[in-house]
Amino acid sequence: MELLNLPFNALPLAELEVGHHLYWQLGNFKIHGETIITSWVVIGLLIVFSTLATRKVERVPAGFQNAMEYAVDFTRGLAKDSIGEKEYRPWVPFIGSLFLFIFLSNWSGALVPWKLFELPAGELAAPTSDINTTVALALLTSLAYFYAGFSKKGLGYFGNYVQPVPFMLPFKIIEDFTKPLSLSFRLFGNILADELVVGVLVLLVPLFVPLLVMALGLFLSGIQALIFATLAATYIGEAMEEHGEEHGAH
Amino acid sequence: MHWTLLLAVEAAAEEGGGLFDLDATLPLMAVQFLLLVAVLNALLFKPLGNAIDERDSYVRTNLTDARERLSKAESLAKQYEQELAETRRQSQAVITAAQADAQKIATQKIAEAQQEAQVQREQAQQELDRQSKKRCKPWSSRFQA
Repeated sequence: MELLNLPFNALPLAELEVGHHLYWQLGNFKIHGETIITSWVVIGLLIVFSTLATRKVERVPAGFQNAMEYAVDFTRGLAKDSIGEKEYRPWVPFIGSLFLFIFLSNWSGALVPWKLFELPAGELAAPTSDINTTVALALLTSLAYFYAGFSKKGLGYFGNYVQPVPFMLPFKIIEDFTKPLSLSFRLFGNILADELVVGVLVLLVPLFVPLLVMALGLFLSGIQALIFATLAATYIGEAMEEHGEEHGAH
Repeated sequence: MHWTLLLAVEAAAEEGGGLFDLDATLPLMAVQFLLLVAVLNALLFKPLGNAIDERDSYVRTNLTDARERLSKAESLAKQYEQELAETRRQSQAVITAAQADAQKIATQKIAEAQQEAQVQREQAQQELDRQSKKRCKPWSSRFQA
């Protein structure tokens, strides 16, 4: 039942699995082994790239340093645009890691031939196609913007909830729940859907045609990473935003 | 109708799996990610951020330096040009003065020479007159005597 068997799956070329996991037992807790493994690969790649890039930092960058400097500069721009020139610096590592981790995760799902590695159950895929990963990142983003707001304004952060008019209060409270929800489901849904579409197309037409969708998937993966990082930065910026008229009135 | 996603999810959920299976992966992933942030901060964002900032300030100071030097050179060139023009004017004045002097001296010399010539001519005339008078005297005295 859990196999998504298409009616014409008589061809033994490919098969689509959804919702199968390789379970690791950790005390009383269950862990999705395949997600953790691929996330380790992504994290390892990031660390290797960073080490290569900063082994010998030069004024005129070359090779890895150049590439990673582009990434750092890009994420700095993201943070600066959303948080503002004055406050953005401490948030660059968080936003940048979000972007790089999600981007590499998404692309690993499309570019790394995970299916070559046989697992006892489930199959390796992009870490971001597991809802646990995306919810974890989204909750961390929520914590980050709460932390940003409270560290900047103290309890005055609650003033944000009645800005600009007090009847916004319920909507603002609902927003605190919808923000992580939409962040996590957007990323999860997009990446999973991309992998499913590619899988289904490979089932139907094993040659050439899936390439188009794969290319589209690469584009989409990059966009999703950008959206997640930008929204996280925007939420943090929003939490730290000064309400000028508030200070004037009280 | 095996292939509706919903069915697949429901079926999987019954066995404790499925698409929306939240479990200990979530906190583990969160912890992992926080560690990644810390590691990348130390390995990537700090050194490369510093490198970018240093390069920025290096370029900026170099630029202002170069701009300063350029303006200095331009003012120097202007000063030299002014001095050159001044010198030209002075030399022109010197030349005119010299020419005027020369002209004056020449006219003076000419005038002196003419005067001298005049004087000499007058002397010669007087001499001539005198001599002619002397020669004529005996004749006249002779007639008077």
